[in-house]
Amino acid sequence: MASVLIVDDDPFIRKLVCTTLEDVAGVTIVEAANGEEALEVARAVKPSIVFLDIDMPVLDGTEACRLLRAEPAGADATIVMLTAAARDEAERESEAAGADLFLTKPFSPLELLRLVDDLGTATAPG
Amino acid sequence: MAVQGEDRLKAENERLRAELAEQRSRSGEDERQLERYASDLRDIFKAERARAEELRDSYVATVRALTNAVEARDAYTGKHAERVAAYGLLLTRGIEPALADDPQTEFGFLLHDVGKVAIPDQVLHKPEDLRSDESRVMRRHVVIGWEIVSRVPFLERAAEIVRAHHERWDGTGYPDGLAGEEIPLAARIFSVADTLDALTTDRPYRRGVSMPEACEVISRAAGSQFDSAVVAQLVATPHEVLESIRDQTD
Repeated sequence: MASVLIVDDDPFIRKLVCTTLEDVAGVTIVEAANGEEALEVARAVKPSIVFLDIDMPVLDGTEACRLLRAEPAGADATIVMLTAAARDEAERESEAAGADLFLTKPFSPLELLRLVDDLGTATAPG
Repeated sequence: MAVQGEDRLKAENERLRAELAEQRSRSGEDERQLERYASDLRDIFKAERARAEELRDSYVATVRALTNAVEARDAYTGKHAERVAAYGLLLTRGIEPALADDPQTEFGFLLHDVGKVAIPDQVLHKPEDLRSDESRVMRRHVVIGWEIVSRVPFLERAAEIVRAHHERWDGTGYPDGLAGEEIPLAARIFSVADTLDALTTDRPYRRGVSMPEACEVISRAAGSQFDSAVVAQLVATPHEVLESIRDQTD
């Protein structure tokens, strides 16, 4: 079953994303509160989608993205950066670090659902 | 010693301030995110409502198309179904508003004679009185209509009206010989509306009577052919209101 990893240091955002994606067919959701935790969890579940917040303690999103890309656990995942509005600099950096998509905070729950639905059906077997 | 303590306090104070600022900015972000959820929800709700309306409109259009197909064969009745539906809804609104709000009530009124599609022309269009065998054929239109309409899932209650629209309060109607409140209320209302329209419109063999005359004729059949409560509602309705329905859909 495809899993989705949500990485954000704000527990409120994690809860919101989990609740939004709950019951979306064929998806399990796992969470991490910073980049370092994200790497550990990713190694365990091999997520197909990773939502990465940029500003996080311990290990920030951009750096976590770079490290994930270098590992088998994150090489094929779709990495979606959660960015604050007007953060072009951060977006460029994350793109260089291997991010696929950007979702600007505050993000639309509908967009979130469509994204997971599209990616979920695209990577269905596995 | 005192200076050291003061420094520690200052540092602690700074740290708390920073934490508070961080908390404030986070709760601001959370709030904006929540607002975004709320606005998406509102948009979905609006889209859903628009879709429901569209669906309802297409139901109405479908039912009207079917009604027109039936009426096209029955030249002299003109817009009979539409007038009967209008009288029927007017009476229903006065008797039981919730029933008038159910779109199936109007659908049933409009479709009451849909079974006539299966009645041969020589019976349907016979100018003279029907022989008993022809009359039997003609009477089948209520059950045929019910069979047609009851297969449509959103028209189940409408189908009941179609089936029962020739029942009579005293139990001598057809097809099931139901009596009194065994007859669905909407069908009891319908039969009054149907008779009102038949009496007040011109037919090839006679002219229609006036509204007051028609109401008088119907009143005399309260408790035998018709439900007295429905007749009372008709009698309480100003003639001008009924006349405006008759003239609007002429």
